[in-house]
Amino acid sequence: MSKAVLVIDDELHIRQFLRAAFEFEGFTVREAANADEGIRSATLQPPDLVILDLGLPDRDGASIVERLRSWSNVPVIVLTVRSREREKVRLLELGADDYVVKPFAIGELIARARVALRPRTALPARDPVVTVGPLEINLAARSGTLGGKRLLLGPKEYLVLQILAQHAGKVVTRQQIMRHVWGTSHLDDTHYLRIVVRNLRKKIEVDPTRPRILLTELGIGYRLAP
Amino acid sequence: MRPQPNQDRRSVRRRIRDHVAGVIKSLVLVGVTTIGLLILDHFFALRHVTLVYLVPVVIAATKLGITPAVVAAIAGGGASAFFFYPPIYSFLVEDPQHLIELPLFVFVAIVTGHLATNLRRQAELARRRETEVHDLYAFSRRLAAAHTASDIYTAIREHLAAIIGRRTILFETAPRGAIGATLSDQTKVPELVKRATEALAAGRKGHESGTVADDGEGHAWLLRKVSGKTGDFGVLAIDVGQRGGETADAIMERVDAVLGDATATLERLDLDQAIGEARVRSETEALREALIGSVSHQLRTPLVSILGAATVISQAPANRSDPRLASLSDILRNEVDRLNNDVQDLLDAAVISSEGIRPDPEWVEPADIINAAIDRRQRLLAEYRVVLEVPDDLPLLYVDPILVEQALGQIVDNAVKYSQLGSTVTVGARIEDASVVLSVQDEGIGLVGDERTRLWERFFRGERSASNVPGSGLGLWIAKAFVTANGGETDAFSQGADRGTVVSIRVPAVAPQSQELAVGDDE
Repeated sequence: MSKAVLVIDDELHIRQFLRAAFEFEGFTVREAANADEGIRSATLQPPDLVILDLGLPDRDGASIVERLRSWSNVPVIVLTVRSREREKVRLLELGADDYVVKPFAIGELIARARVALRPRTALPARDPVVTVGPLEINLAARSGTLGGKRLLLGPKEYLVLQILAQHAGKVVTRQQIMRHVWGTSHLDDTHYLRIVVRNLRKKIEVDPTRPRILLTELGIGYRLAP
Repeated sequence: MRPQPNQDRRSVRRRIRDHVAGVIKSLVLVGVTTIGLLILDHFFALRHVTLVYLVPVVIAATKLGITPAVVAAIAGGGASAFFFYPPIYSFLVEDPQHLIELPLFVFVAIVTGHLATNLRRQAELARRRETEVHDLYAFSRRLAAAHTASDIYTAIREHLAAIIGRRTILFETAPRGAIGATLSDQTKVPELVKRATEALAAGRKGHESGTVADDGEGHAWLLRKVSGKTGDFGVLAIDVGQRGGETADAIMERVDAVLGDATATLERLDLDQAIGEARVRSETEALREALIGSVSHQLRTPLVSILGAATVISQAPANRSDPRLASLSDILRNEVDRLNNDVQDLLDAAVISSEGIRPDPEWVEPADIINAAIDRRQRLLAEYRVVLEVPDDLPLLYVDPILVEQALGQIVDNAVKYSQLGSTVTVGARIEDASVVLSVQDEGIGLVGDERTRLWERFFRGERSASNVPGSGLGLWIAKAFVTANGGETDAFSQGADRGTVVSIRVPAVAPQSQELAVGDDE
């Protein structure tokens, strides 16, 4: 059965090309022209994925994501514009799965959609091993290997890898990582995280200054390469 | 208000008083000299005393003016005849030699006095010129930098206050055609003076050019219209101090003289036109910012649809196999990208000039900034050789990563724009004197002449490529604004035409407070 995408966007032309693009890729598409219509549609017939354009006339993005999250785990990708980093972070923290900056090439959005459609978090019980290129993270054994060789990871380094692996390919905000690794006491000391990531990259990347596995989302957070 | 003739009579009287005082002073000088000579004469028999009287003459000439000098010359001659030439204590002179000597002395003394007075005038004039030129220079520099009409008014007010040396307020009158006067009351202005100024400004043109007002606290204010070529553009109010006092009259007279000169200067500088232009400029500026803001938002939305639709079409199964369609969709995509960048530049420029930039700093890995800037331009850079020179032990930066990445991206865009396809673009980072320097080096057309500095100006386009390379001249200006907002500096260097350019961003490296803790905590 094909996956259903709900596009919530007030611009008719954007809905049109999104419909075409997702239908070419074998999705079924439903459209909503405003937030209330979108929420109603999602309630009546839960979609597999929601594409939500920010800047709808009737509601702000945060409240829509909050509403959806109050009863549903449906993956949400927000369409946003550049230089609204705080807003992006906020939406991701509220439970949006990813974001794409407008204007975007359709391939980018489809790729993000596929990642978002993967199981929400990798759980040790389901598949304990997350693989990114040569890197394997075993969430059950709490260990990692690179090209088959066991990695010597510090506890903080492992925790960073762990939360990224659990979100496999999706962006994780630095606040989410900080909370996961250090708890809530050091949320503003992001240089801790930068240093740990730097050390981690020296262990897992071929060129730590040009990472291919542990990627930075500038101003937002990190993700593992999808 | 005071009738004009009264004022004239007063000043004449004062001038006579000044002269009388000078004459008395010169007579005192002659007296002192005489007493000195008499004392000396008591001990040594002096013979040619007349010459000594040149001293009070010269002093009177340089300090008091020509009339006291002439008086001193005659008095000196008289004193010589009376005290020193026989018969003593009589103005009669016996010796025919003395008879020749005395008129000769008076003649020489008057000529000397005249010369000395001239000299003094010249010196005074030169000194005044110097301060005037100095003031004027400072004034014109401020005018050149003034952007709005009120900047210009402030400059005029301060200039006039400096040369008059009194508390001065400049009321700007409304642009022609408006009724009444708008008063810029940045200083506390007594209500009575304000009202008198309004009355003066509203008065029929040409009828009144000035008046004197009382502020109710005993101070007199001199009000004068300040005119340009095409009419009055303001009213100047000068606090001349206690009303009715002798000094107030003197000041008023000097102020009038200075103001006469100053008004002529203002006329020469064509100030009223400058003020008009500044007014128009600030209005158009505001309009332009508003336009840029709304237009670019309006442009953005269709761009999203165009780019989206274009990429969908190019990937549609029916089109994928046809290379002609693929190349067309490429064109579409590139042009949309370009248009989108231009719109983004306009938006950035509007933000910079309207709201200003508010950086949101955090600790950032320098390599992350470079990678983001490069990765966002994958399509653009695909046809160039990109070399990254980034050491892995750079200090973390405390900056707004998005702004610095945008700045670096602008520099990369610029490097590519003025380079041959296939040439090398080197993006590097290094530490230099407690700063991290991010640099972009290209093999392009380089910089010539003043381009190295003018490069950072808003709307600046190099002459060699303004016609054949598309661009708005905003990119590097935006880059500089973003970097500066983050406490950094930008610089450009080139060895000359067609020898490439290095553009760099220098950001001070600050050490995190507790870096050790984080690292020590691990492993």
